[in-house]
Amino acid sequence: MAAVDLDGVSVRFGPIHAVRDVSVHVADGAFFTFLGPSGCGKTTLLRAVSGFVEPSAGAIRIGGQDMTGIGPHKRPTALVFQNLALFPLMPVWQNIAFALEVRGVGRAARRKRADELLELIAMPGHGDRMCHELSGGQRQRVAVARALAAKPAVLLLDEPLSALDRNLREHMRGELRAIQRRVGVTFIYITHDQGEALAMSDQVAVMRQGAVLQVADARTLYDRPHSAFVASFVGENNVFPGTVTALDSNYATVATKAGLLRAKPDEKLRVGDAALVFVRPEAIRFAPSEDVENRMAATVAASAFEGNLWRVFLELAGDLRVTATRVHAEAGSDGEDAGRVVIGFSARRAVALPEGPLAAE
Amino acid sequence: MNSGPATPPGTFAWPRAFFARYGAGLGASVLVLVGFWILALVLVPQLAMADFSFRPNLPPTEQGGPRDVYTLEHYEYLVRGGAGGEGEYNTVDLAVLGRTLLAALFVAAVDLAICYPIAFLLAQSAHGGFARLMMVLLVVPFWLNEILRAFAFRILFGTSGLVNDVLLGVGAVEEPMDFFRDNVALYSGLTYAFVLLMVFPLYNALEHLDKSQIEAARDMGASWLRVHWRVVIPFAKPGISSGCAMVFMLSAGALATPQILGGPSSLWFTQIIYQWFNTGNNWPRGSAYAIALLISALVLVLVAMRVFKVRLRDLGK
Amino acid sequence: MTSTRFAGIFLTAFVVLFFCYLLGPLVVMAVTAFNSSAFPRVAPFECFSVEWFGVLANDVRLVDGLANSVYIGIGVVLLSVPIGMAGALFLTRIPDRAKPWYYTVAVSPILIPGVVLGISTLVFWDRLGRMFGAGDESVFYDGMFLTIVGQTTFVAAYCLLVFMARLQRFDATQEEAALDLGATPGQSFRKVLLPFLKPAIASSGVLAFLASFENYNTTVFTSLTQETLVTVVASKVRHGINPSISALAVAIVALTLAGAVVYEILRRREAGTGAKAAAGRNVVSSKLGNPALALFLLVCVAGIGTVYFAGTVGVEECKATVQAEKRRRAQERIDALEKTLQDGAASAAPEAPANPGETIFAPRNLQPATRRPTDEAAPTQGEGRQTNNPFSPDDLAPNGDSPGGQTSGQTGD
Ligand SMILES: Nc1ncnc2c1ncn2[C@@H]1O[C@H](COP(=O)(O)OP(=O)(O)OP(=O)(O)O)[C@@H](O)[C@H]1O
Ligand SMILES: [Mg+2]
Repeated sequence: MAAVDLDGVSVRFGPIHAVRDVSVHVADGAFFTFLGPSGCGKTTLLRAVSGFVEPSAGAIRIGGQDMTGIGPHKRPTALVFQNLALFPLMPVWQNIAFALEVRGVGRAARRKRADELLELIAMPGHGDRMCHELSGGQRQRVAVARALAAKPAVLLLDEPLSALDRNLREHMRGELRAIQRRVGVTFIYITHDQGEALAMSDQVAVMRQGAVLQVADARTLYDRPHSAFVASFVGENNVFPGTVTALDSNYATVATKAGLLRAKPDEKLRVGDAALVFVRPEAIRFAPSEDVENRMAATVAASAFEGNLWRVFLELAGDLRVTATRVHAEAGSDGEDAGRVVIGFSARRAVALPEGPLAAE
Repeated sequence: MNSGPATPPGTFAWPRAFFARYGAGLGASVLVLVGFWILALVLVPQLAMADFSFRPNLPPTEQGGPRDVYTLEHYEYLVRGGAGGEGEYNTVDLAVLGRTLLAALFVAAVDLAICYPIAFLLAQSAHGGFARLMMVLLVVPFWLNEILRAFAFRILFGTSGLVNDVLLGVGAVEEPMDFFRDNVALYSGLTYAFVLLMVFPLYNALEHLDKSQIEAARDMGASWLRVHWRVVIPFAKPGISSGCAMVFMLSAGALATPQILGGPSSLWFTQIIYQWFNTGNNWPRGSAYAIALLISALVLVLVAMRVFKVRLRDLGK
Repeated sequence: MTSTRFAGIFLTAFVVLFFCYLLGPLVVMAVTAFNSSAFPRVAPFECFSVEWFGVLANDVRLVDGLANSVYIGIGVVLLSVPIGMAGALFLTRIPDRAKPWYYTVAVSPILIPGVVLGISTLVFWDRLGRMFGAGDESVFYDGMFLTIVGQTTFVAAYCLLVFMARLQRFDATQEEAALDLGATPGQSFRKVLLPFLKPAIASSGVLAFLASFENYNTTVFTSLTQETLVTVVASKVRHGINPSISALAVAIVALTLAGAVVYEILRRREAGTGAKAAAGRNVVSSKLGNPALALFLLVCVAGIGTVYFAGTVGVEECKATVQAEKRRRAQERIDALEKTLQDGAASAAPEAPANPGETIFAPRNLQPATRRPTDEAAPTQGEGRQTNNPFSPDDLAPNGDSPGGQTSGQTGD
């Protein structure tokens, strides 16, 4: 078990700057996730940690020890590959015990360890199957077990759930988290699925174009994003562009097409700056009480029933579009809102951030 | 494949990545084996032969001696003929060279013509048992080597062979035909010898052709001929070119089949080379002739590739 | 409608003709192997006989050549399979810019005429030997060694292509996974890549052996004083033909067929442990394999038995009648021949009733020597001289060709 420190790590492939100056501390025994859109350099960063790619600048330390010049087979890391990379010609138990085989452990001891790990991943008795005889989720777990067999200090997982269907993916989130708790190994996890990141991780680093924008636990990331990109990439958000007209100790006032809005400001904001106000769909209230600071008139354009909740699409003055969600049980009798409504949201639930690129772009 | 330790910047990046992947022992073995092959078996022997072809024909004791100087005499001999042939051309050998290359082109063209329908059928319309039967029937003759196949043609085309028996029997001819003198036997034998080398590249290329492309073209009202000309042949171009290049090179370089089936008055160029080595005892001249054959055949292939706009990497697939 | 039907008929006819062309000569040759006629022919079919197989087995030169071919084949396999594999691994690990160059050089031996490869090997090792002052007994002048390296030049390229095709289907992350799990590069090669390449090793080995075994163009230069099966057969065919060559062809096809059946069974076994096939089906197919092999061997044994039985019972009387008939015909021909000779046309040799195409190569081979201006180095016609008597037609007497003649005496007992 060991902490991992990335210290100004950059990776270049010729003209492509795949990873830019990443400095992150991953605590010992943490479940740490790198989250970012496709092509932002997540895999490259992970390959740098596991030793397949040499950083062109910066240093990687595992358990305090500098890894520069140490090959992948000598690092205390184990990688669960994006495509799993199980060995098709070996039965499951030999796959799992491969790390022991190459260390010269005897056959009986290998088998024993493999059976223990099969127990850990809740697949006892599957040792003599071939990999192609397993289901997707089982293969997934075998890949994790194989990586754990070497007793690595750090387990690296590269979008291990992306090949699974939705239900299985959600199930495996819990499994992985449970396995991590049981073995206590540091997990570094990669995904472009923000739901996955929020559900599993102790800490999440959001990446964009090779750089890390923010490192925080899931709640902070969701409630207090530091940049427009993070606010729009992590979870769903409504955006009101505008200009900061006033700042006081707790709140900023932003002039938008929907009127003056009050929101919690980012510390970088100054009066006169272009700003974006972000509000989560679930923070929007229908027919809000008088103490809700931000109120506006809207027209219901459409609404969609999603089982546990309704998603309501609203149009505001000045061509603004807003999405709100209402829990099914709290919605109106027929569940649908129609026509003109008044909506509002509390200043505590809104954030004002400096203008910047959004995730959709 | 974007695997492997990505090339780190700086000097010696490649060897480092190479050894990082294979380790010292395995990496060194790979390099030694490849080096031995490419240098000691492929490149240097060709260069040695080229060098040798510029030397006079000397007895072993005099090689490396004062008379062992560079000379063009062997190439001159090929072009001008022997001593006293001033201002004239060695029409005999040059004609043989020309005829060999032309005949090899002819063989390649005939093979293409007869193998294309078969390969198309095999790749696009034959299924299951029929396809497998065709495959087996195609391959079986090539379990025998070139000489035995040529031998079969000798039996077939002999004066009292089956072909003449049949021709005489139906009264098509009065006298037995001499298929050897007219090179009929030779060309049939060579065409036969390389059928498989033509079918397989064609088949490989055509196999990947999506049937719906043909159907789409048919649907738009194209005739069968047009479908082949505009859709199938362009698609199969890599296969066609590698098949033709191989058949051409191999028939130009064939030795056994011409030795066995060639007519009494027509030599194949390889037979002249063989004679310089064996009975003529003039190795440098044999080398010079070999180089002349190699270069003229390669030039023909390269010119053909230019003309038909084929890239090198399409060959050998 | 009619046009497509016409096309269909046309195509069918074409396919039939094509396969007649492909298989006809082989069938004809196979029939001649069982005809007791000393000249390989289908008609007249004199007597059904397996004597030519006996001639084959008793031919010392052929058997020695076969042994040499096998040794050379093994040498070539041992050399070209590792080289082909190394060449393919090398290709996957060099910078993209270098790949086309390396590929061109590596694959070029396939396109270079075998004659050229043979000569260059001969010249290169000769020069190397001279450089080291090696004697004639040294490896540099050893026909077996030279043939092995000469053939490896291009056989390794075949192997390279086989390995490349297999490597294209290799998921390279498996190798990375092994390294990541602590395997050394050597271990990752041995435990992950090598097992994956096993089928390619087997098939390139078979391919290399066959390519070596049947090679003539390179071997004829590099073998020096040694002979391989193919060079022996070639010189036999060039110096006059007899049905023992047909018998050889039949034997080769039969052996290869057996080999192919065995290979197919092994391949199915291999597929059984492979990733794709379902467990249940493999058991069935591997169980099917054994009876298939047994059946095949049974058929072979039965076939050979019948042939042998038929050959020993009826062949003697049959041959006696044919012999008498032949003698009569021979006498007639000799009379005719003498008459022609007395008419005095020596140049009439090709027109002599002696089946010019089939006899000997003398006329053709003498041609360049007569055409060539007198030059001290002009090739003299060894082949031509060896052919002692261009006037004796092969079908006059079975003793016309020495190897066939000697042994046919034995079988005639
Ligand atoms: N070996 C390489 N050579 C050149 N460029 C590369 C290489 N590997 C990755 N890149 C580039 O680096 C960038 C980051 O790639 P990376 O694979 O790290 O993305 P990713 O975040 O893992 O994406 P995904 O979510 O799609 O897996 C991409 O622009 C990619 O094209
Ligand atoms: Mg990735």
